[in-house]
Amino acid sequence: MVRRTFLKAVPAVGLLTACGRSSRIKLALNWKPEPEFGGFYAAPYSKHGLDVQILPGGAGTPTVQMVGAGSVDFGIVSADEIVLARSHGNDVVALFAVFQNNPFGIMAHASRNLTNIGDVLKEGTIALQSGLPFARLLERKFGFSHVKVVPSPGGDITSFLNDEKFAQQCYLTSEPIAARRKGASVKVFAVSEIGYNPYTTVLAVSGESLRKNPDAAKALVAVVREGWRAYLDDPKAANQQMHQLNSTMDAETFAEVAEVQKPFIETEDTRRSGLGTMSRERWETLIGQFKELGDISRTIPAEECFRVL
Amino acid sequence: MKKTLLPPLIPFIGLTLMAEFLVRQGFVRPYLVPAPSAVFRAMIDSRVELLQALLSTSAGSLAGFALSAFTGIAIAVLLSSSRAVQRAFYPYAIFFQTVPLIAVAPLLVIWFGFGIQTVIASAFVASVFPVIANTLSGILSTDPPLRDLFRLYGASPLATLFKLRLPAALPQVFTGLRVSAGLAVIGAIVGEFIAGGGLGSVVDIARTQQRIDKVFAAVLLASVLGLGLFGLINLLSHLTLRRWHASEQAE
Repeated sequence: MVRRTFLKAVPAVGLLTACGRSSRIKLALNWKPEPEFGGFYAAPYSKHGLDVQILPGGAGTPTVQMVGAGSVDFGIVSADEIVLARSHGNDVVALFAVFQNNPFGIMAHASRNLTNIGDVLKEGTIALQSGLPFARLLERKFGFSHVKVVPSPGGDITSFLNDEKFAQQCYLTSEPIAARRKGASVKVFAVSEIGYNPYTTVLAVSGESLRKNPDAAKALVAVVREGWRAYLDDPKAANQQMHQLNSTMDAETFAEVAEVQKPFIETEDTRRSGLGTMSRERWETLIGQFKELGDISRTIPAEECFRVL
Repeated sequence: MKKTLLPPLIPFIGLTLMAEFLVRQGFVRPYLVPAPSAVFRAMIDSRVELLQALLSTSAGSLAGFALSAFTGIAIAVLLSSSRAVQRAFYPYAIFFQTVPLIAVAPLLVIWFGFGIQTVIASAFVASVFPVIANTLSGILSTDPPLRDLFRLYGASPLATLFKLRLPAALPQVFTGLRVSAGLAVIGAIVGEFIAGGGLGSVVDIARTQQRIDKVFAAVLLASVLGLGLFGLINLLSHLTLRRWHASEQAE
């Protein structure tokens, strides 16, 4: 008697939990909650009937593989990751580009009196993620023969502060601010100086999901766009939420970074075509650069890489 | 030779063939798990880079392991001298076991700088505890009748240590060294993630480039390194203990 009731209950519970699981949308971030993700935290998901779970990431979170494999519904990646992924047969598509311009840069001590990005590579040490395309473009353009290349410490500026000849890759919107707060005088060089400018903090989805359910993607993008508008107008609430999840950045820095990143997010293009917009030319330029680097063997059609919903 | 090499080789070949089949037929996506043929090709294509990296990681892990072996045995001997000393300092030895290495590695870089010295330090931190624990256990479990015999003959504590307790502890010392060897390789690679160089660096860079075939190739080499170290310890153990200990006389 008990066994029969139990056997009937199990599939029922299973069905219920499966129902709950299928409507919950998972969005994976590729770093800890910081102002670069502000709009995602500010977005009014429940108001539009969406149940979204944001999964914070960290160093090395493989969001582009997670999206391709289907373990999350959406993920944050950068445009260059999408080009590489697609060339390996990983069908991921960009939907919304938060950063219209790449905020990657090199941070050096101001006392070195450097004038351009090439100067940084003339002596001392530089901390880079050597596998990243911009690092390899730098190597091609200027060569690393006079500088010692070490792995990027991922946001940690201790080595930078301890050594005047130490330069490191940075997000223009974060490490320089942290360094200035610690009393260092810094000079930053934007990587876009060498012409490398992929969209960054891009919301991506798997091609399969997009084909199966384009309306769900469209609905999410609309809410995300609203969230970014809200965050740009007033970041305080989302900043507080993110600060609770990521205490390594203090509240003041959150506010400062949210302000400093605005020109990367809101540009002439977005004012014309909406936040998160992407253009075919930018994608084609990027694909061309990858081909030049030899990272991809065949040209990928730009229109397969992104969808503006 | 046949008895030791053939049995593990069969499942290896079987698994490799199955993996190749699964990826080729599309059951597993190649950007998640590379086909063994792709890993093999990556090994050939990047052989110079991988060989240099392997040599670098080998140097780092061997040095770290050697440091662990000497320091670990020395610490264990010190701890065995008195119960009071043991109770006071053993908990700190445990610290080396429980500290999360990936969190400590950036600190090691700040203290020792970017370079192989940090890789060695990281390998040491990861591998020293098993040597201490096993050596101490070995020294403390000397057969009581034998200790009594030494006492009857008026042997000094030092003589007892070097002529009875340490030799008797050798099998356990080797157990500790076996565990420590693999951990030294892991520690070296974690150190390389932060400080650069070696197979750790190859894995990190290949991962950023989404070259998962190269990642697997480097990881495979790291495993071979670990196996090699393990084999070396086994050989040493065999040579040292074969004449008198049951563990080396079986079969």
